[in-house]
Amino acid sequence: MNKHKKLLSKITAFSFVLPAILVVGLLLLYPVASSIFYSFTSKNLIKTTYKFVGLKNYIKVLSDSTFISSFLTSLKWTIFSLIGQVVVGFTAALALEHIRRGKGFYRTILIIPWAFPSIVIAMSWKWILNGVYGFVPIALVKLGIFSEIPQFFTTKEFVFATLLFINIWFGAPLIMVNVLSALQTIPKDQYEAARIDGATSLQQFRYITLPHISVVVGLLVVLRTIWVFNNFDLIYLITGGGPANLTQTVPIYAYNVGWGQKQLGVASAVTVLLLVFLLVICAIYFRILNKLEKEGPQ
Amino acid sequence: MNKSKLNRSLLTDSISYLYLTILAVIAAFPLLWIILSAVKEKGEMITNPTALFPKKLTLDNFRVVIEQLHFGSNMLNSVIVAGCTTIVSVIIAALGAYGVVRFFPRFGKVMTRVLITTYMFPPILLAVPYSILVGKAGLVNSRIGLVITYLSFSVPYAIWLLVGFFKTVPLEMEEAAYVDGANRLQVFIQIVMPIVTPGVIAVAIYTFINAWNEFLYSLILINSSNKMTVGIILKSLEGQEVMDWGVMMAASAMVVIPSVIFFMLIQKKIAGGLAAGSIK
Repeated sequence: MNKHKKLLSKITAFSFVLPAILVVGLLLLYPVASSIFYSFTSKNLIKTTYKFVGLKNYIKVLSDSTFISSFLTSLKWTIFSLIGQVVVGFTAALALEHIRRGKGFYRTILIIPWAFPSIVIAMSWKWILNGVYGFVPIALVKLGIFSEIPQFFTTKEFVFATLLFINIWFGAPLIMVNVLSALQTIPKDQYEAARIDGATSLQQFRYITLPHISVVVGLLVVLRTIWVFNNFDLIYLITGGGPANLTQTVPIYAYNVGWGQKQLGVASAVTVLLLVFLLVICAIYFRILNKLEKEGPQ
Repeated sequence: MNKSKLNRSLLTDSISYLYLTILAVIAAFPLLWIILSAVKEKGEMITNPTALFPKKLTLDNFRVVIEQLHFGSNMLNSVIVAGCTTIVSVIIAALGAYGVVRFFPRFGKVMTRVLITTYMFPPILLAVPYSILVGKAGLVNSRIGLVITYLSFSVPYAIWLLVGFFKTVPLEMEEAAYVDGANRLQVFIQIVMPIVTPGVIAVAIYTFINAWNEFLYSLILINSSNKMTVGIILKSLEGQEVMDWGVMMAASAMVVIPSVIFFMLIQKKIAGGLAAGSIK
């Protein structure tokens, strides 16, 4: 009887987590496994038959100079976006923490970009920076900064910086809010004590603020790195990878191969390579996490 | 406080305010410009592109969006898809998060890492198998197909956020209910859920916003315009030969304003959870 009860209790406990396990298994792990399978086949978007092609797709992708340049563009896009988001988000959080009045007001305004759907980010900035009637380009001409209307989306010199600006605009609020909540966990008396000991603001920042928030910020940065690296929507909707593949990242490349050229097998190979790269980053991330958990202040 | 110190804090104060004001203008400008462009007359947008405020307010753009483009039905599609995604994921995630916190605490760390790893899966990686599997299941161009794929990102994220809330539930209250003869499901629904309701609502709203904002999966899984969600219909509007920016901004306003309002309501709860979730 008791044994029976124990088994029943195990079953009810398990049934709580079963749906979640099914979602992860059926919607995440199984599709990834099938993607790995298709990456070794000639799967086409329209045709139903396909055959096994071995490593052909991988060889094709890795020897394609467009893939290599897309990968480099992805790295560039990720690194510069991240630096921008962290610098803006971090400084904004420090400024917010510093001021006494209007904190809530500024915070509320500053997080607006976070709520934007990617399609509206794309459309609003395309309109604001529009090369014929856009507010900013025409204002820049009126101010005498440009002699003719700058074309932010089609000029080689501008397009990448424009995308970065938009991505920083979108991503900085998330960093800001998280740094802010990390800042608020620092006990205020530590600053008090440091001030009595004659520490400068810079020293306080270096020896109290930074160590306290480094764990949260570090992990946040890694998660954001992956997220920015994976981002498809923004670039697809704003430039579509153009002009002349100049802003084509790996996700855009995979989309073009899979849905543009209809070669899903090859597209699978691209995304599997992407996954392998990200898993390596992931492994490094957990390593750092373990290390921080051993030494960290929290 | 001596004078030089007072001056210095005055200086850092004004630098902070100046910096935050500049950032606030940049952060808010697109939303402002969407709304202002949506209520401007077409002629004014062309003759004076840098005029901030419209001379004459008009709702013509909204009329076109609703009456000619039948944007209402696309909004409804998005509401249905995001709503179903939210209900299903919150139920699955609440059960899962509670189950892990209460019955399998030793797996908590492993689970968090699995969730973080799935968070790192590129959406484009899942897009390829989804287009094949959803096609096989005969769910292309259906809202159900879309809801199922949306669970892939909403459930893990909701679990991650909810675990933090469930950890705050005192064990004694549950034990007292067990002594009174309640079973686990009763305890969960009658004791635990009421305590975490504020957190669950915040997570539900966040899930809804994310599903409402989703783009890639609906791009590959929906191609008939009466099933399209708002994101895809806006994209197809852009592809038309004569692009009317006033109309585009009116439609954008209808998509983004609910997101912004709901987001502001819950941001404090979510932000704390994000930071907490990332270190636990």
